[in-house]
Amino acid sequence: MMLGKLSEKLQNILNKIRDKGKITEKDIKQSLREVKLALLEADVHYKVVKDFVTKLEECASQEELSKALTPGQQMVKITHGVLTEILGKTQSKIETDKHIPTVILLVGLQGSGKTTTAAKLALQIKNQGHAPILVAGDKIRPAAIEQLQIMGKKAGVDVFSRGSNENAIQTIKAAEQFAKENKNDVIIIDTAGRLHIDTSLLQEIKEIKELFIVHETLLVLDALMGQDALRVADTFNQEIGIDGYILTKLDGDARGGVTLSIKSITNLPIKFVGVGEKVQDLEPFYPERMSSRILGMGDTLTLIEKIEANYERNELKNIGKKEFREHFDLNDFYEQLKKIKNMGSLEKIFDLMPMQGFGFPKGINQSFEGGEKELGKVEAIICSMTKEEKSEPDIINGSRRRRIARGSGTNVSDVNRLLKQFIKMKKFLKQGPNKQSLALFIR
Amino acid sequence: MDKYDLLFTGTVRDKNVFLEKIEELLILSDIGPQTTREILVKFQEMNLHQYRVNDFNHFKKQLKDILIDMIPDRGSVLKNDSKTLNVIMIVGVNGTGKTSFAGKLGYYLKNKGEKVLLIPADTYRAGAISQLILLANQAGVETLKTSEGADPASVVFDGIQSARAKKKGVLLIDTAGRLHTYHNLMKELEKIKRVIIKTAPEALLRIALVIDATTGQNGLNQAHYFKESIDISSLSLTKLDGTAKGGIVLTIQKELFIPVEYITFGEKITDLCEYKPEKFIEALLD
Repeated sequence: MMLGKLSEKLQNILNKIRDKGKITEKDIKQSLREVKLALLEADVHYKVVKDFVTKLEECASQEELSKALTPGQQMVKITHGVLTEILGKTQSKIETDKHIPTVILLVGLQGSGKTTTAAKLALQIKNQGHAPILVAGDKIRPAAIEQLQIMGKKAGVDVFSRGSNENAIQTIKAAEQFAKENKNDVIIIDTAGRLHIDTSLLQEIKEIKELFIVHETLLVLDALMGQDALRVADTFNQEIGIDGYILTKLDGDARGGVTLSIKSITNLPIKFVGVGEKVQDLEPFYPERMSSRILGMGDTLTLIEKIEANYERNELKNIGKKEFREHFDLNDFYEQLKKIKNMGSLEKIFDLMPMQGFGFPKGINQSFEGGEKELGKVEAIICSMTKEEKSEPDIINGSRRRRIARGSGTNVSDVNRLLKQFIKMKKFLKQGPNKQSLALFIR
Repeated sequence: MDKYDLLFTGTVRDKNVFLEKIEELLILSDIGPQTTREILVKFQEMNLHQYRVNDFNHFKKQLKDILIDMIPDRGSVLKNDSKTLNVIMIVGVNGTGKTSFAGKLGYYLKNKGEKVLLIPADTYRAGAISQLILLANQAGVETLKTSEGADPASVVFDGIQSARAKKKGVLLIDTAGRLHTYHNLMKELEKIKRVIIKTAPEALLRIALVIDATTGQNGLNQAHYFKESIDISSLSLTKLDGTAKGGIVLTIQKELFIPVEYITFGEKITDLCEYKPEKFIEALLD
């Protein structure tokens, strides 16, 4: 989604009231329509959006107009604040010391990522110094047991499994016995994917919870889900009782509005988020980050701060101008790179920016694979160029490249790569940067 | 009590409440706020006074007509060509049900008289190959033995040779789930496509994007990026046996002109049928 789309829209609406002392009701109402749209685009449930916007209206009407921020930014800040508060605190913990063994049950719809998550959780718990065991409780999906065994191996955690002639309950019973003998202190049970409306499969979970003591029942939910997420979470909770959520596939570009929906309806914590297919890809849930993500801003708020610290207002205005783009030379390239360097590690910056919105060609962060080291090389290369070469890079022929490489202590291939990157960026800038993204930063 | 009864306890003059109910219905179907807005505008253009208050079937029909109108005429599904090898590459993000879909589609096409070969080109995900082989057995369809970690493009190459040797009519290729935001994974798909085109230039190649019915607005992103990368021939919608309506496919059809081909609705090998827009929209508005 576009960088700062919400901010820019709000800015346009509220720009005209810069001179007034307070944000008026009419202005708030217009802004709220934009917030509503942003939240719906983020897959927040319709009813939850309505309630949220009502709450936001109350908060906004009480705010004084800030001197430091633009009205648009202020509205975003308020929205972000309210949203973060609702999403709760970071509670990425599973109580493993109270009970031995601690029994964790993972449930969820088909394809939500339970099996992968089970292994991820097991690894994390193992790294905390425990002795977990994974239980292959999915008897429905073809090759589910094999899948868990392979994942368990990757996590370095034992997997207890029995054939599919035995049902899940029988397997769990045997697993508990085994865990006792094997001295495992945490049991993580993977179950078959099931619909929230499948009464017989829900019954299986109910039976499991009746026959065995389950300390944590976690619902694994796909972050790509839409409006149905609320119903799924609510139904699972009503029918079998859950203690929290693990949200998966957050390495994608789904806005994750699911989180607001499920938090609103059940007020249960989101314990972890999955951010990849590898067994290490499990992270704690951070409400502020999720809030920015839902609003479609990436970590833009952080970026706003960083950019404000490193760019003069005029500089940003100039970047938007045609002359800058047309006459973009290596000097400019170097200046921009220096600023980016000051703003923080290159990786982090590229992480924060929805690439296309800010004018960088897709995949350019891959060009800067070396991160800081690369930047050092780039600096050295550019410093070894003459004034003429920096302003007219087209004249840099083979012999010049060799001279530059020697002078900067790099290879000709490094020089070639830099020039290639520069040409790429210049070409992209010529197309014209996304005005909306720049508008975000220019007051 | 019919959902629509609630719309008419007040007078039709209370247009805003009425429209809000329609808005809620559409949003909850995952059709998306932009498309919903467009539909509401069309609705508002109607003169509501002309309809009797109790005539809620009229409104349902109007809505249905608006939705059907939205689906573009072009981009209809390509049919199998009996004179050549048909290659169907099944792609999509993680967990959408591609492997299950491959099994079901294999079964469906076999029953239609096609000679099908299933290729487990998901060599990445743990247990994916075994899963497909088991499904192939269930479907009574031949498959190829591959090993985990093998290069998917090589697997596909072998699959094509095998299909030719066995005189197969349809080659179904299951690929690994991948988020469209992974540049290198999309490149891998592009490579597989190139291999197919190079190895079997005579084949009719179609690329089927599998979308989970529970997917929200991200479905549009998925379709956009997959289309941009390898060009999608059709969509198929899975897991319609849940409570999600899968409305996002209507927006994808409208915005990207990609037709919907199949829908699936359960875990049995028989739980697949062809997409019928009218039926789908009726279910959506229910």
